[in-house]
Amino acid sequence: MEPTPHTSPADGWLDSYLVGSMDPSVEPLPVAESPHAPATGAGWEPFVVGTPCLRFEPRPPSTISYRPDTLCDGWSTDQLTVRLASVRGYAHRHDGRPREDDVAAAYHQPTGTVVFAVADGVSSASQAYIGATLVCRAAIDDITAQLDDGPEVDLVRTVRSAAWQLAARVAGGGRAVTAEDSQEAERRYATTLVAGTVGVGRHGVPEVSLVQVGDSGAWVLHRGSGRFERLLKTKDSTGEEVLSSAVTPLPRVPTALRPTRVSLRPDSVLLVGSDGFGDPLGDGAGEVAQLFAHHLRTPPPIRGIAHLLDFSRETFDDDRTLLAVWPRHLLPGDGGE
Amino acid sequence: MSSVSGNSGTLLPIYVMADESASMNANMAALNAGLAHLHLKLLAAPMAAAKVRFSVLGFADDVVQRMPLVDLRQQSEIPQLVARGTTSYQAAFEELLSRILRDVDQLKADGYKVHRPAVFFMTDGMPNEGEDWVGAHRRLTDRSVTKAAPNIISCGIGDADAQTIQMIATNPNFAYVSDGDRVGDAISSFCTALTQSVISSGTAMANGQAELIVEPPAGFRMVVDEI
Repeated sequence: MEPTPHTSPADGWLDSYLVGSMDPSVEPLPVAESPHAPATGAGWEPFVVGTPCLRFEPRPPSTISYRPDTLCDGWSTDQLTVRLASVRGYAHRHDGRPREDDVAAAYHQPTGTVVFAVADGVSSASQAYIGATLVCRAAIDDITAQLDDGPEVDLVRTVRSAAWQLAARVAGGGRAVTAEDSQEAERRYATTLVAGTVGVGRHGVPEVSLVQVGDSGAWVLHRGSGRFERLLKTKDSTGEEVLSSAVTPLPRVPTALRPTRVSLRPDSVLLVGSDGFGDPLGDGAGEVAQLFAHHLRTPPPIRGIAHLLDFSRETFDDDRTLLAVWPRHLLPGDGGE
Repeated sequence: MSSVSGNSGTLLPIYVMADESASMNANMAALNAGLAHLHLKLLAAPMAAAKVRFSVLGFADDVVQRMPLVDLRQQSEIPQLVARGTTSYQAAFEELLSRILRDVDQLKADGYKVHRPAVFFMTDGMPNEGEDWVGAHRRLTDRSVTKAAPNIISCGIGDADAQTIQMIATNPNFAYVSDGDRVGDAISSFCTALTQSVISSGTAMANGQAELIVEPPAGFRMVVDEI
């Protein structure tokens, strides 16, 4: 028997629409001059700091799942404003590799807590970008679940949970995770992680807790002075004569893992970023630091933080990720500044 | 020396220290051609090239600077190595020590962060007798004495002694001797491996991983296999 053609009341609608839309007897509207700058305008060019990176059209990333070049997000709770972005590095764009950084943030409404995670997949791992995404999601899930049970969060547990998530991905469902799974997870998914919370303490003071595995970092930007205060160890804070890129990433969990806690002063901005941001920031006294100190005095537009983070400076071509948290009263046009 | 604040970039200094003793005479054309090819390859990999600074030095009775530590993208060509004199390893290592300290200081004064330098050492013979090259080598490579002590990749061709080549390399995986009598082919392989190492290391730095990747030259064997 011949198959019966599928019909529906909508059949024929598309054809008539297309034919109708191209009817030569219909006069098209004249193309008016746009009051807006064209999308190719200079306003979209990256900020250039010193000597720019090479200009080129990015190659498509070679991945097993979709991986966008850039992500950005932002929102405000009653008391805090969050902006975040993660951009593919110029080297990965040039070589057709995916963005191996990732970031995630969430709001735990019952406790008024912002939860965040930043991860930087280690390039030598075969699917580093998946590792970075997995640990960010795992960290957010774990912290949120802990907050459901009360305001105290054990961030060491969060790190262990993220590490386990990598090995569990190798094991798949239906069997227990083994040491071999963890070793394979290191080959596939090795990644750094900084995860934590920003809660609002007594008198409305934001209280930051965070934990670090690997060389992603966190800083407080003091708006008045433009000074960056390092909250976590970074690769150039060790005073060594020459740099080492060696990191000990997840799924390895350091034995001496101690969360950092700090109160955010009213004139301060919390920054959490991968080394793609931390390296050019350096000691916080150079031109890149000036750029960010200037533009992060108050929360930029959501797309603006991605544009800012995508600045061009030769040799700084790693993926970059940055999450920033301000007291909400600093949000422009929001009753604050 | 005062330092510029902030961070102008992160660089990997790479030195080629090539044997210019008289016995290299027949092979100099191959070596010079190999370095010229490296230059062309690096120009075609500008993202990697931006992160590397490159120097060419020749050693015989003494060391002659053929090219200081430069950005190869700014160079029209790499100067030629020239065969001459004897084989003073001591002169080579002493020169590297003073030069690396000076260059690293200068790069840092210019605002750069610096990865551990890499030296590609190539020789076709035995060191001059009666020289304390081992002491000079130790001062150069002891990281407790020389904070910017380089990684040394050593390649022996022709009459080079395998055990000596291994002593020079700072890692057993960085020591190679050519496998056969075709010295011209060995030099070509060395230059190909050098090119790959330079480009791979520049790319690896861009990707935020280890600072030095060494490609084994084709037709060479790792010295450690012989010991």
